[in-house]
Amino acid sequence: MSQATEEPEQLQEIGHDEYNPIGTLALIGLYFVILVLLWLFVYFVEFLGNDPTVIGAVLTMVGLQ
Amino acid sequence: MSNAYIDKFPAEAKVVKAAFYSSFLALALGGVFGVIQTLHRTDIYRFIDSADYYTVLTAHGVFMVITFTIFFLVGVFTWAVTTSLDRGVEDIRFTWSWVGLMTIGTVMAGVAILAGFVDSIDISASVLFTFYAPLQAHPLFYLGLVLFVVGTWVAGADWFRSWWAWKKENPDARIPLPTFMVLTTMIMWYIATMGVATSILVFLLPWSLGWIETVNPLLTRTLFWFFGHPVVYFWLMPAYLLWYTMLPKFAGGKLFSDPLARVGFVLFLLLSTPVGIHHQYLDPGIAEGFKFIAMTNTMFLLLPSFLTAFTVVASIEHGARQRGGTGYFSWLKSLPWRDPVFAGMALAGLLFAAAGFSGMVNAGMNINYLVHNSLWVVGHFHLTVGTAVALTFMAVSYWFIPQVTGKELWNRSVALIQVVLWFIGMTFMTNSMHRAGLIGMPRRTAEPQYTGFEFETAVGSVGELNAQIALGGVLLTLSLVLFFANIIGTAFGSRSDNLPDNGYAEALSGSDDAPRVLDNLKLWTAIAVVLVIIAYSLPLMSIVDRGGLFGPDITAFPANLESVRFLAFAVEHLGTAALESAGTLAWNTLPEVIR
Amino acid sequence: MNIHTYEKVWLIAALLLIVGFIATITYGSVGLGIAMIDDSEETVEPSELDEDFGEPRVEHVGENEYEAYVIAQTFIFQPDPIEVPANSKVTFYVTSRDVIHSFSVVGTNINTMVIPGEVSTMTAEFDESGEYGIICNEYCGSFHHTMEGQLHVVPEDEFDMTELSVESDDEVELGNETTFNVAVENGMLDDLETTVTFEIGNETTEEEITVSGESTEETTFTVDSTELGEGDHDWTVTVDDYEESGTLTVVEDLEEEEENGGNNDE
Ligand code: HEM
Ligand SMILES: [Cu+2]
Ligand SMILES: [Cu+2]
Repeated sequence: MSQATEEPEQLQEIGHDEYNPIGTLALIGLYFVILVLLWLFVYFVEFLGNDPTVIGAVLTMVGLQ
Repeated sequence: MSNAYIDKFPAEAKVVKAAFYSSFLALALGGVFGVIQTLHRTDIYRFIDSADYYTVLTAHGVFMVITFTIFFLVGVFTWAVTTSLDRGVEDIRFTWSWVGLMTIGTVMAGVAILAGFVDSIDISASVLFTFYAPLQAHPLFYLGLVLFVVGTWVAGADWFRSWWAWKKENPDARIPLPTFMVLTTMIMWYIATMGVATSILVFLLPWSLGWIETVNPLLTRTLFWFFGHPVVYFWLMPAYLLWYTMLPKFAGGKLFSDPLARVGFVLFLLLSTPVGIHHQYLDPGIAEGFKFIAMTNTMFLLLPSFLTAFTVVASIEHGARQRGGTGYFSWLKSLPWRDPVFAGMALAGLLFAAAGFSGMVNAGMNINYLVHNSLWVVGHFHLTVGTAVALTFMAVSYWFIPQVTGKELWNRSVALIQVVLWFIGMTFMTNSMHRAGLIGMPRRTAEPQYTGFEFETAVGSVGELNAQIALGGVLLTLSLVLFFANIIGTAFGSRSDNLPDNGYAEALSGSDDAPRVLDNLKLWTAIAVVLVIIAYSLPLMSIVDRGGLFGPDITAFPANLESVRFLAFAVEHLGTAALESAGTLAWNTLPEVIR
Repeated sequence: MNIHTYEKVWLIAALLLIVGFIATITYGSVGLGIAMIDDSEETVEPSELDEDFGEPRVEHVGENEYEAYVIAQTFIFQPDPIEVPANSKVTFYVTSRDVIHSFSVVGTNINTMVIPGEVSTMTAEFDESGEYGIICNEYCGSFHHTMEGQLHVVPEDEFDMTELSVESDDEVELGNETTFNVAVENGMLDDLETTVTFEIGNETTEEEITVSGESTEETTFTVDSTELGEGDHDWTVTVDDYEESGTLTVVEDLEEEEENGGNNDE
């Protein structure tokens, strides 16, 4: 009982060719969406909203105001 | 009679055990300093002088990310090589020699740091683990770091020896995956440590001994980060090794793809080093072009981690499906969440996914204006090294410690609570640290409460952020207490025959599917070196050209100490012999390493 | 090596993500003109900043354009506060006299490492007035946490770079005359037209002056002590919002001249 890791009980043996990690694809797809949304939020809201920002001395800025 | 690691490799088990216990000692010390810091900077409870905060922070940083992580790493790697090659080390005395070097190095650096608390001893090293000149530590600190790193070099040589010996007997066999991971990681480490070795041996150590007058602060800083980025992968690689080769087994499945695991490690070897300038996005004296190159390299370095995410999760899912899991998401319920080893490693992986996001932001060159040196960064790396690595190590210890002591784990329920507490504590602490960073709260600051202005929060308040950081810190400390209770309880237990077998996960798609070229370590080493040369030669040349090899006329802080003169004398006269023998040792092993 | 279709899909998505990140950053640099701190400045000698870098100061360099020369050292920033007008474009030049510091304007994207020997340059536009805190976010020694400064962006019409100084005697012998030498310095490029007001006792004198750009104009007020009479007399010199004041003592005999007298531009 107090063994650190019991051999997990296995109900079936799934071989290489029968296994499709659809759950992984679903999870990682979700992760992808979260990453994109958070990236947009942090770059365009948190960062660009944190003016003033260091700019090139010669360029005239449009989008920054 | 069980089939644990200690039964097969009793001598090596002692080494691994020593490495683990050393790492735990560092974790305990680091944890104490961690909570002191948390309570101090949030102004919840202050009992040290704010000037001593930086000594505490140095100790926390060095003990956690140098001693704790790397001692654990050498334990895991020794286990991985011996287990996967199925042979003991070539010469156990050689093995103990690097354990000794690393220990002596730690003690020297540790003494130099902790002496900073005692005013009557004029030794100190409150320079944080980045030791940026002109801040200067006592030479003992630099010497300790050198010995420690040399110890890891010798350890790498030890593992390469095992592999060469094994290869003679198995000329056509593929390198077993765990050994492959160890070897690629160590090659990366040899390349990476060239930076810090140069920085210390050529500049900082002679400077602290008074042999040279000045150093170029931008140069030593750049050399530090040459090493400083790959070192974060050095911490991470043993965790990845465990996620690839152990976690599938704990989940009841098989590694999804051995070849892709190899691809991942090769990519880490190639891309870990030519990116260090991403820590210097806001440094003057480095052209924007170099920063842009470092940024693109860094972004591509995301690839092996993305790859790992898929392969590891797919391997876990395989376990869940074999245990009867179904559906798009409900298979998650079929995982062995009550097993502290699995639960801890899986939760560590989950928080690492969050860390992935803040890491992408850190990588994004111009966005660094927002987050650089803010608490955001501290939040980020407590998710990476502080959780993905540290929690994986603690969780897997519940499997490892019985393996190397032959004793059953003292209490599984306590272990489960421990890993969950760490997860919760880190969630509180790092989430609020990220938020605090976005409002400009600085890291490495004893009292981030200023007289002339106030931090402005869009949501919540500074008080609320501090409260969450402190709550997280306290939960983490509690978690550590439970961890040590379990380790000590186990250590004082008696030998058991009822232990799980030593071993690692099989692969669904095995090494036979991997192209042979993946095992061509010489090729990858050569490419890695070329990439480093391309990424670093121009920036380094430009820095030396601008500021000179030994920099401008600067003064060391704090001013030179009395005991330094004595040490300088000692190093010059007595120490040369020791250094020489260390040098010969390195020279003797070097050809083997290069071969 | 056969890679599972799902994993291929993910790898392609991951590559897209990476390219997307790089594209965002590039847009920030090229599209919005966000520039990184770079190596465009010459190096300086930290021990000889007076020659290489000059005094900590703000300079008016063009219409709505300013340059701030900032020195960071344990554990202060100079000048403090840094004052610039709203609706201006400011280039900061920051260097360190000793160890590595940072110069970070809280709540903005103005943030740089400050490395001895190197000068960090950054240009930023300030559209609105406001007060910002400046902190050092790189550990620089035992009192690092006390290192802070201020950046004041003042409303355009309240901003000037005028400096007023007055040289005068503290004591004068009854019957003698004494002079007040007033210097008005104009740091802006445009001329400054203003009035110097001098008050002593119940007397008020005004003088219109024009100080041309980047220069100093001096003027003198002469006071006859007999008119004031023996005793202490408070005086003030006012130019716009600046005021200097002091006390002139009229005495019968100036015996202790050696000890008390002399010029004192209080
Ligand atoms: C009890 C658990 C922990 C607590 C309460 C804690 C707390 C903290 C806090 C509050 C800081 C920021 C201090 C500052 O910048 O002013 C910090 C820094 C740091 N922590 Fe932790 N931490 C813990 C565990 C860890 C672990 C497990 C690791 C790594 C394995 C780690 C590595 C670091 C590092 C590298 C720093 C930065 C040091 C520096 O800036 O020089 N910490 N920690
Ligand atoms: Cu990095
Ligand atoms: Cu500082």
